Amino acid sequence: MSQSLEHSFVEQLETNQNIVHKVCRLYTNNQDAHNDLFQEITIQLWKAFPKFRGDSKFSTWMYRVALNTAITLYRKKKRRIKTQEFDSIEFKIKAVEYDDTEEQQLKLLYNAVQELNDIEKALVFLYLEDKNYKEISETMGISEVNARVKMNRIKTKLKTILNP
Amino acid sequence: MDELELLKKDWKKETNKFPKLSYDDIYKMILKKSSSIVKWIFILSLLEFIFWSVLSFALKDNESIKKFNNYDADYAIIPLTIISYLVLGYFFFVFYKNYKSISVTDSTKSLMEKILKTRRTVKHYVAFNLIFSIVAVVIALFIEFEQDQDLINLVNTAAANGKSLQFYTTFTITVITVLVITILVLLLFYWLIYGLLLRRLNKNYTELKKLDL
Repeated sequence: MSQSLEHSFVEQLETNQNIVHKVCRLYTNNQDAHNDLFQEITIQLWKAFPKFRGDSKFSTWMYRVALNTAITLYRKKKRRIKTQEFDSIEFKIKAVEYDDTEEQQLKLLYNAVQELNDIEKALVFLYLEDKNYKEISETMGISEVNARVKMNRIKTKLKTILNP
Repeated sequence: MDELELLKKDWKKETNKFPKLSYDDIYKMILKKSSSIVKWIFILSLLEFIFWSVLSFALKDNESIKKFNNYDADYAIIPLTIISYLVLGYFFFVFYKNYKSISVTDSTKSLMEKILKTRRTVKHYVAFNLIFSIVAVVIALFIEFEQDQDLINLVNTAAANGKSLQFYTTFTITVITVLVITILVLLLFYWLIYGLLLRRLNKNYTELKKLDL
């Protein structure tokens, strides 16, 4: 592939790398796995890049490839450790402007999201990224109504996890 | 406040918490090889096609097959060989077409469906081979009983001793046992390899399908 294509791709991914980091944050729970998934997503994005026509934004296109890689294509090298490692240095939730209660609540919330299954995590991710139900349903391949229903169920599930 | 809204507020601030990868870091990554399950399915499927094709070639050198070639059995061997090559060609074509249709930019559900479809093609090919092998074994046995002098002598001796039924029963049970054991070993092998490789995909696909019920 031509050098200009490479250059254009790497530059755009460098600018939008946080999308990939966020997907990795949801689907992995330690730094090694995070890096590993980041790399696989990058490879998949690069492989698909020649067909990227630019009729959608690069970032929009990235959501789909990144999620598909995390949910479907990625083959974990090691068995996923069940214990939550969300407090690792890299992911430490900083409580700059939050009081203790809110910080604590957030920690619990992140842990609760970590307990959701892969599909639920994808819906939560798109929701947190401010995607509307049309985009969510198109990305996942389900109907808009069902995406909405599922999202409500996830909210209830999170409530149950937080207040057993 | 809604839990997810609280999370969303914090999520937006997440941006500063990730290590920022440089241009060079990302450039190095695109040079690496993928280890996705699609790649593994492709490699394993190719190996399966090779395995089943090589198996028939390898058997051609076998002593008992050489002996078999001396029989008047072309009426069975030629059609069976043609069928097996036609079927191999057909399955390989469908497999490759399905494999090429897998696109990471599809919706999650469609991507999963295409991967499972590709895998299913190979599964059908293997199932065909198993059934084909059983049919071939049965046909070969009929030809042996008709033309193998050693076997004909054995049958005659058994008949002379009044043990015809016993002979055929033992023979049939032995053949069936060998076939069943071979098939079970193959199935176990498949279950282990593909079961592990596709467990997560199957689980997620079921979950997605449940949403649309």
